[in-house]
Amino acid sequence: MTAATAGFWAVAVVLLASSLAVVLTPNLFHSVLFLAVALVATGVVFLFLHAPFLFGVQLLLYAGGVVVLVVFAIMLTERIVGLRIRQSSHDLVNGVIVSVAVFVGIVGFLVQSGPAPAAPATPPPGGDQTVALARAILGPYAVPFELLGVLLVIALLGALYFARED
Amino acid sequence: MEHLALDALAAFILLNAVIGMVTYVTLLERKFAARMQSRIGPYRVGPHGLLQPIADALKLMMKEDIVPRAADRWVYNLAPIVFLIPCVLIFATIPFAPRLGLADLNIGVLFFLAVSSLEIVGLFMGGWGSNNKYALLSAMRAVNQIISYDLPFVFAALIPVVLAGSLQMSAIVAAQQGLWFVAYPVIGQLGFVAFLVATLAAENRVPFDILEAESELVAGFRVEYSGMKFAIIQLGEYAHMIASSFLGALLFLGGWLGPGSDIPAIGVLWFLLKAMLVFLVVTWVRWSFVRIRVDQILAVSWKLLLPATLGLLLVTAFWVALRGGAGA
Repeated sequence: MTAATAGFWAVAVVLLASSLAVVLTPNLFHSVLFLAVALVATGVVFLFLHAPFLFGVQLLLYAGGVVVLVVFAIMLTERIVGLRIRQSSHDLVNGVIVSVAVFVGIVGFLVQSGPAPAAPATPPPGGDQTVALARAILGPYAVPFELLGVLLVIALLGALYFARED
Repeated sequence: MEHLALDALAAFILLNAVIGMVTYVTLLERKFAARMQSRIGPYRVGPHGLLQPIADALKLMMKEDIVPRAADRWVYNLAPIVFLIPCVLIFATIPFAPRLGLADLNIGVLFFLAVSSLEIVGLFMGGWGSNNKYALLSAMRAVNQIISYDLPFVFAALIPVVLAGSLQMSAIVAAQQGLWFVAYPVIGQLGFVAFLVATLAAENRVPFDILEAESELVAGFRVEYSGMKFAIIQLGEYAHMIASSFLGALLFLGGWLGPGSDIPAIGVLWFLLKAMLVFLVVTWVRWSFVRIRVDQILAVSWKLLLPATLGLLLVTAFWVALRGGAGA
């Protein structure tokens, strides 16, 4: 077992444990903190896959952005408005069934598709992955990329519409 | 294995250098502030008050460590560490001279921005965990401010990246061999000013210090912290400030470039000089302006800084495209 494999397993354990903690802790604020741990751990997994650019984006957008927004919402409702929200997992059994089914499905797919190609020990040739990513997004995938942008604008406008003062 | 040990040693040296720098930058700031107000500043401890930071550190370590009864213990105790780690981690990617840095990542600038955006997690952990209304209000304001100023900060930092055509710190400095980015007509100066303003906001310095606002929130999210934990938060804050000054010197002021910078030692001196210049400008602003209101801060960000930096970034991109490519 190489150092990279050992590191991956360590991160995987942290990732799984914190993800479980997100849904199982009753305190909503703690659950957000575990979410932050889970998102950072996901970023570290990207690092192990030789994708440092995705690691940076994951940290900047999710751990630094999304978590902050969620915290903002919780602070506004819970401590300022005084609305106490306890997180309760009502349908624990159903949730477990669904997640086990998804897990089995993914594992089955992976097993069927044969042994995975060995992960490259060194970053893929061609130098900077960031450049390759940029060329892919703005080249062959330009249209889907722009469509995603339109989708985000629509979501933003929708949020504005619902939040407007009548 | 030997490689790993060497890396660990380098990291250890850098960490200690950062801590030493932080301690003495506090003295620099106090002396500078004192001079601005026609005072002398710390003078009693050691010659010209040179031992004052050491005395401060010793004093903080000996203070009683108090945990409020109503505090969320785990969150409260972990917050200073969570706050400190990103502030120190960002130094890893800063090159002090050619090939003299811990890791010259090819995503250097992105790494800096991404990791420093994690600082806010420790901040709101402290504000929430203290279970104190001042601390909570401060954390609220912090979150508010971060949401508003993260984007202008990123856009301003991206201007040199677009000009150099690389996210790697050393490549950005190399691209400034002919002309520092701050000297580029209009783009450079406006970009640098936007970067400084966004840095002030990201560091929560006056005039953007509503989240610690001594007169209303009695120091904000750290109000319940004492002793060592207070020292750690303070350390993190100053480390972040120095790191931002380093970033400013790297992105706009040509890093280690200067007369005689072929010799690494002189390059390092140039770099530190420029970084301290940025730091002193920030300090100068701090001691010259008054705090502005929350709504004014948000208005400055969303109505002025965000469109301005976005427009500037677009103009830079067009200019680079017209010039036919990035680089020196």
